[in-house]
Amino acid sequence: MSMRTAIRLSGVAMAALVILSPVLSPALRAQDDPLSHLGSGARVTIERVLDSARADGLPRGPLIDKVAEGVLKGAADDRIVRAVQSLWRDLAVARLALGADTDPAVLGAAASAVHAGVSSTELRRMANPPPPGVRPEPASLATALVTLVDLVAKRVPVTLATSSIQELMDRHAGERELSALRNDVDRDILAGQTPEASLAERVRAQTRTNPP
Amino acid sequence: MRESPSRPDGAPDALSDAVELLREEPRVRPEWRDALLRQVETSQRRPALVRRRVSATIPMAIAAGLVCALFGGGVAFVTMRPSHVAAPIAAVETSGGLTVPVRFSLVAPNATMVSIVGDFNRWNPRALPMRRSPDGRIWEIEVRLPLGRYDYAFMIDGRLSPDPAAPRDVNDDFGAPNSIVMVRGS
Repeated sequence: MSMRTAIRLSGVAMAALVILSPVLSPALRAQDDPLSHLGSGARVTIERVLDSARADGLPRGPLIDKVAEGVLKGAADDRIVRAVQSLWRDLAVARLALGADTDPAVLGAAASAVHAGVSSTELRRMANPPPPGVRPEPASLATALVTLVDLVAKRVPVTLATSSIQELMDRHAGERELSALRNDVDRDILAGQTPEASLAERVRAQTRTNPP
Repeated sequence: MRESPSRPDGAPDALSDAVELLREEPRVRPEWRDALLRQVETSQRRPALVRRRVSATIPMAIAAGLVCALFGGGVAFVTMRPSHVAAPIAAVETSGGLTVPVRFSLVAPNATMVSIVGDFNRWNPRALPMRRSPDGRIWEIEVRLPLGRYDYAFMIDGRLSPDPAAPRDVNDDFGAPNSIVMVRGS
């Protein structure tokens, strides 16, 4: 290859790069799209779930976040699909129980509680607003649900966790009480107590100080 | 058989004629000669043209290379950079609503790199790197988050770990537990 041909070819290659750069840039950015990491079958299935969620008025963000989480954790495509489908069902159950105008944060917390085993009936009961007057700032439903899910994650049986949180909410427990309950149970578990025994004891202690 | 007449130098006459003919200036038409001369002139000029073209192509190639390098570097910077490496308060993409500063911290004196991943940054481990405290024990970051509930975890030297100080999520879909943060307006 002569010098002249080499220079011409390199010029053409560089010009092509300059022209293609704007095209390549979105391709690089597509790495931020979690679905782009999936195989075509999984992607089609999840896009169908996303379409259904949109049609049902459910938020799509948590479903896409679930895909991103699975991608980061190196999960197989079918596992990611199952997790997304499961979250979609949980969101639907939570919205049916709490209503279409539920705040997305509460809906997410409720979906997590459904995943933990809380029933629609229990969710509805917890969502009932407390009677006004006794305490100015009862804990929000979202915080109560997050505390409940945390207890279940620490291996407290879901029925015990649900009834305990419900009891505290009936007594208008605030954010501080629920946060203290969680920290106390953590400490007790670290000290060797079983999660059930710790929760029962801590709830008894709180109900003694907070009459209904 | 007819013999060719011979010259005193011994060469045959026909051969001598041919030699004489070759010695004469060739008779060509003037327009042919002019055309030939133009072609010769053109072919003599061509190397200069090539030199000019080459001397013009080299700077253009260098300029194109620089443009490519700058553009490619810019694209790589925008797409690969950590979003807020040194910002005291990091922000995540929001739809323009209210955001609240949330401080995350982790005691990890032996870690060499810690970042936070979660629903608020699409689980991107490069997006929100945490900063080591001056004493080297604590890693922390303050992130402005829209109101909501988020699953998250710490990425400590490439390994995921939940926040020991936060509520745990029961959704352990992928074998690595998450923590939960509730961001509230008040």
